[in-house]
Amino acid sequence: MSRWGRLAAVAAACAAGWLGTPAAAHAAGPATTTPIRHFIYLMQGGRTFDDYFGTYPGADGFPAGACQSLGTSAQRAACVKPYPLHGQAAPTLAAGSRLIANQLDGGKMDAFVSAYERQGRDGTSAMGYYDRTDLPTSWAAADQYVLFDRFFSDAAFGTVANRSYWISGAPAADGGNRIPAAGLGNQPTIFDRLQAAGVSWKFYVQGYNPAHTFRAPAAGRLDDQATRVPVLDYARFLDDPRLRGRIVDLSQYYRDLAAGTLPAVAYVATSGADERSARSIPAGQRLIQTMINQLMVSSSWSSSAFFWSYEQSGGWYDQVVPPRTPTGTLGLRVPALLVSPYARRGMVDHAQTDPTSALRFIETNWRLPSLTARDAGAGDLTKAFDFTAAPRKARLLPGYAALSASTAAGAPARTHVASRLYGVTLALCLALVLGVALSTWWRTRRADKSSHEQSADAADDADDAESRPTERAVGP
Amino acid sequence: MIWKRAAYAAGLAPRQVRALDPPGESALLDRRELPEAPVLTQEPPEHPDGLPPGPSGAPGPSGGERRADRIRRRVRDSAVAYRLGFRVLPLGAILALAAFVRYRQLAAVGLNSDEAVYTGSAEALAGHHGLESMFPVFRAHPVLVQLLIGQALRVSDTDWTARAVPAALGVVTVGLTYLLGRRLYGAPAGLAAAALLAVMPYHVMVSREVLLDGPMTCFATLALYCVVRAAESAPRRWIAAAGAALGLAALSKETAVVLLAGLYAFGALGSAGRLRFRHHAIGLGVFTAVFAVYPVALRLSAVTRTGQNFVLWQMLRRANHPLWFYLTDLPSVIGPAVLLLAAAGLVWRRRDFGWRERLLLAWILVPLAFFTIWPVKGFQYLLPVVPALAVLAGRTIGELWAARDGAWPSVLSAGRRRMGFAAAAGVCAAAGVATLAVPTWQRITPSSSTAFLAGTGGLPGGRAAGQWIAANVPDGARLLGAGPSIANVLEFYGRHPVGALSVSTDPRNRNPVYTPVANPDRAVRTGEYQYLVWDSYTAARSPYYAAELRKLIGRYHGVAVFTATVPVQTPAGASAVPVIIVYEVHP
Repeated sequence: MSRWGRLAAVAAACAAGWLGTPAAAHAAGPATTTPIRHFIYLMQGGRTFDDYFGTYPGADGFPAGACQSLGTSAQRAACVKPYPLHGQAAPTLAAGSRLIANQLDGGKMDAFVSAYERQGRDGTSAMGYYDRTDLPTSWAAADQYVLFDRFFSDAAFGTVANRSYWISGAPAADGGNRIPAAGLGNQPTIFDRLQAAGVSWKFYVQGYNPAHTFRAPAAGRLDDQATRVPVLDYARFLDDPRLRGRIVDLSQYYRDLAAGTLPAVAYVATSGADERSARSIPAGQRLIQTMINQLMVSSSWSSSAFFWSYEQSGGWYDQVVPPRTPTGTLGLRVPALLVSPYARRGMVDHAQTDPTSALRFIETNWRLPSLTARDAGAGDLTKAFDFTAAPRKARLLPGYAALSASTAAGAPARTHVASRLYGVTLALCLALVLGVALSTWWRTRRADKSSHEQSADAADDADDAESRPTERAVGP
Repeated sequence: MIWKRAAYAAGLAPRQVRALDPPGESALLDRRELPEAPVLTQEPPEHPDGLPPGPSGAPGPSGGERRADRIRRRVRDSAVAYRLGFRVLPLGAILALAAFVRYRQLAAVGLNSDEAVYTGSAEALAGHHGLESMFPVFRAHPVLVQLLIGQALRVSDTDWTARAVPAALGVVTVGLTYLLGRRLYGAPAGLAAAALLAVMPYHVMVSREVLLDGPMTCFATLALYCVVRAAESAPRRWIAAAGAALGLAALSKETAVVLLAGLYAFGALGSAGRLRFRHHAIGLGVFTAVFAVYPVALRLSAVTRTGQNFVLWQMLRRANHPLWFYLTDLPSVIGPAVLLLAAAGLVWRRRDFGWRERLLLAWILVPLAFFTIWPVKGFQYLLPVVPALAVLAGRTIGELWAARDGAWPSVLSAGRRRMGFAAAAGVCAAAGVATLAVPTWQRITPSSSTAFLAGTGGLPGGRAAGQWIAANVPDGARLLGAGPSIANVLEFYGRHPVGALSVSTDPRNRNPVYTPVANPDRAVRTGEYQYLVWDSYTAARSPYYAAELRKLIGRYHGVAVFTATVPVQTPAGASAVPVIIVYEVHP
């Protein structure tokens, strides 16, 4: 396609997006550089790429012969291969910073199990993995849209650190995994940029409790919500009603979809459905399914992109050595997926990206200045889109119900057997009726013919009878 | 009867000679000569009209060869003219009229619930993928009709094609009714019966729809014709044909089995022409062999439980209409004129009451009694009896026509008698057809009703709503309607699964092919359904479920994304009334 043709296609796609969603366009505000007028980013708990997509076809998953040594003196030779965790209540690995550093073993990537063993804990679970059976929605999204297999967490360890990168492109104020007593200070976030540019945004929080912020520790420690929702760790977001009003419960997301008032940029933090534990995986899958499917059925779908990733490794095995970047070393690979009517179909994106790539996309799309060198130099997400094509029709993501339905569905009925049987019967019956009618007609015709001959004979006889006396009369 | 002798001399067969008879005369001749004749131990030579062979020993022509030629030509010309004028052209006109009212604006309104189910099954049989899960081939009934429609859909997959098959069989039924009437009471009676059936609202409405009852009636009428032939002559062959035809009727819809009881009553209540018990056994054997295809096909297709579940449910379900449903709702669509003519003829010619009348009455009354008592009543269930009813009405008109040549009333001259009875027959036929044609015309004009009775026509707005769903609703999305009827239509056109609120969770109270929504609130809340559909038809029939649906729409922030309307004339003028509204819901 020529350059002008491509431009025309992009313009047409933009027009289609605008024309299709008048209410949404109104809510989105300033114009964008792509047809994407709604970008939603959901951050989930700690999982590695191999833990979720190690067996996904076409992705850079488990290497052949992957086996992690147990590492104890008695079992030095023994190793643990990746194994499926279907239905198993695997323990949460509770990985600290030291343990994760030990797992990496200076880049050898050979101590994912032994690091636990050295602490006297069972580390075999780190080699467990999930697949389509456990993650029907995520795998279906990967089938239909884009899966990133070179998406790294920004920090090797820590919810606070990774979620700080998530919204600001920088580590938490003190560089560690702790929220200072005074909060995260004046570090700029993407929401400051959006607010300044007049671009609508919201932070949706599952089970939101406005009282739980960095200022209100519960039971002597920070409430989990303050950790998961980094904007609640900034004083200005708590004190400024214009900013505070944009932090809302997740239920508002559905109402915004219904009303056509989905903001241009939305970040989402979950709690019970964050997929940190084995028990929360089904809840997480259902939540992702519901959020995306509701987006798909809304008027906003044709101009939206739904992106979700996982904050850190959580102690799970991953084979790829975290890369070094000019702004520091990244963490382990984590799963990341993009669902959008413009997302390429069934693509596994091998480009190196991280959560700040999403910041870069937002900045580019709404013409905002970069936050830090990290997001300015982050991998480009736009390659996962195809803006030259028209937005494609949504196809809802399946959940566990689809799995059970496909299991319950028996063998398809052998309709061709019945069709032939009915067809042959119909033909035979009609042939019988027609045959009887024809045979009756044939017999009747024969009977008519013979009766006609009899009539003719009778007529001849009558003629003879009539003529005989006459003959006699005229005779001699 | 010199002209008859001349006709024989002209080379005409006795059957052709009979065609030259004044119609009423031949009909009366048929009826009086054959029916109650003592049964021969050996079958007599067969004759298509049931007439004895031509007159043997008739006197030959008395004139010379030239005169004989002249007579021969005249007779031949008059036979052709008579056939053309009194049989072929009227019958052609009747069949054309039948086709016109059955095909006019055939697809103007979309399919209704039952039609959607049968067409969906037909499409699945035709190999159209995507509908098997929503419309399983083996759902409730045998699949002969679906198979025929499926073959047509292979050529052209449209609503019109699906409806054209039963409509064509409806026209064939009119033709068979003519044959039946002519066979029993002569050509005028056959023509009158065919004309009445051609424009009868009941038959026109049902045969314009993708329902099993129209084709079933066609095969049943063929079976009745075969029974008549069997009772007149050649009982063995024709009763076997009757068994095959009735078997096809039962393979169209299993309720045709009830007609067997009608035939039993016919045989049990008196002489059945030439038919004897052993003949009935032959017919029953052929019928059983044909109908056995239904369970055998189910077994071979490994879906035996489907049929069993449906039969059980039909036997145990609650009544869906009051006891007198047929007596109150059907007369207006069958036509009071038809009923009056049939009854008047039976009273007037009560002295001629024989096996023919008994056969027709048994064919009508047994299904009527059965479905009146049976709790499950469908509007179209009694369709197979209407050809027999039309023949009884046609008989009266035929008798009036034949009475031209009678001696009663003796006070009138022969000419006046002839003219009077001809006029009476013409007026009765014209009045009967006219009183049927007017309501039929109203029925085949696209409806603007916002209420709906199953089996009475298409569902306005359903196709538009379904097509909108197919075009706009994401793949994989699910919809929830108030009742299964609207669900079927939307599934068919929308190609998306649609649940129904009113489907009971109690297996005893629901059609086994439907899946209940155990907890609709939870289902919507957890994202199992993304759209709710309100429709005026279900709202009129089941206000409770319509109200429940409204609650869900309100609770889950329903946003109307599509509205189908029908134009309705009100005292204030024409207005568009919403009949189907699709809501997008968010938990």
